[in-house]
Amino acid sequence: MKILLAEDTADLNKVVTQMLEMQGFDVDSALDGQKALDLALSNGYDEIILDIMMPKLSGLEVLKEIRGRNIVTPVLMLTAKAEVDDRVEGLDAGADDYLTKPFAMKELLARVKALTRRGSQYAAKEISFGDITLKSDSLELISSNTVRLSIKEFSLMQALLLNQEHPVDNNYLLEHVWSDEEDVAEDTIWLYVNFLQGKLEYINSNVTIEGDKGGPFQVIVNE
Amino acid sequence: MEESIYGSHKGAMEDVMNIILSSIEELRERMTKEFGSDPVEHCLARIKSEESMREKCRRQQIPETTESALETIHDAIGIRVVCAFISDVYSVRDHLRSMEKVEVIEEKDYIKQAKPNGYRSLHMILRYDHKYYVEIQLRTISMDTWAALEHHIHYKKTASDNDKLIIAELKRCADELASTDMSMQTIRDMIRKDL
Repeated sequence: MKILLAEDTADLNKVVTQMLEMQGFDVDSALDGQKALDLALSNGYDEIILDIMMPKLSGLEVLKEIRGRNIVTPVLMLTAKAEVDDRVEGLDAGADDYLTKPFAMKELLARVKALTRRGSQYAAKEISFGDITLKSDSLELISSNTVRLSIKEFSLMQALLLNQEHPVDNNYLLEHVWSDEEDVAEDTIWLYVNFLQGKLEYINSNVTIEGDKGGPFQVIVNE
Repeated sequence: MEESIYGSHKGAMEDVMNIILSSIEELRERMTKEFGSDPVEHCLARIKSEESMREKCRRQQIPETTESALETIHDAIGIRVVCAFISDVYSVRDHLRSMEKVEVIEEKDYIKQAKPNGYRSLHMILRYDHKYYVEIQLRTISMDTWAALEHHIHYKKTASDNDKLIIAELKRCADELASTDMSMQTIRDMIRKDL
């Protein structure tokens, strides 16, 4: 599980990072909003922890930007006790939970775990990209034509679409698409990428999946 | 006996049908040798029966003449080619396009652009030697199975509450079959690349 932590108070950042790493999380940390946004757009995370008050870009600005780009990763906001309006605005902008400072490490950890547990349910019912729409209730991949995907094809397509801003590597896909299966190798991923590529062509889409066997892979719109 | 609506053309029409069939036969042999598998599962060909041709003329409100049957209506000669894989459909299409004396009058790709009910097939109208029109339907086995089943709902005696459900489920099946067709194609391409 990979977490992005954006907190500008260096000491607090360090303590939280260490605690999460001790719990087995893989942590990328940022000390300002711009760095947090860059990281969020170039990696796939299972959760993002955002402090509201940060230099360069505030936590709210980062949140709005990533939600505007179809990134539905669960977000936990860290707010000061007095900032009721910030909490409301944060939740309205797509945050999934908040924690007021100062907080107990135990509580932060409990909330982080709760959010990562719910993670996958936060996926959008419908994701659009280029000329395609992927529907989660019917597993339909729609362009000028429609095909029904298998569960694994759907999960792979969803993972690629949710990470449309950056390439996705095999490890991420193994953890998020094939987490329930052992003995899944690079060959399996490559076969499923080919299945999807074939189906994108079949429905006459301008979307293609870029990448060679072994990954990483990224969805691209061909104008 | 009443004179045939095809006049004296029936023999020549059968010849055209057989020329196209044997050309497809040649392609099958060539591709089987080259790739180890036959692109065509089966071929059906027919000259539209006297009775249904006359019936079609009446339906279209045109005179029951040889000219109507051979010039206005384009499916007096009909050939259906059922293929194993999607790419085979296009191989046969390309082969027909390149045939001598064959002119493609119309091509409708309902595989790339399925009909709203889920129907998929590639339709072509050819003209042989500036004379006879031939209607060609190209599809995969699964598209053919689907079309055969879908055909039955048009012959149901009475409409029922179930119809809407059946139509929606047929559409779902069509989209699942299309997906599986494409997966089979991808697997075959991979196997061929590895060999």
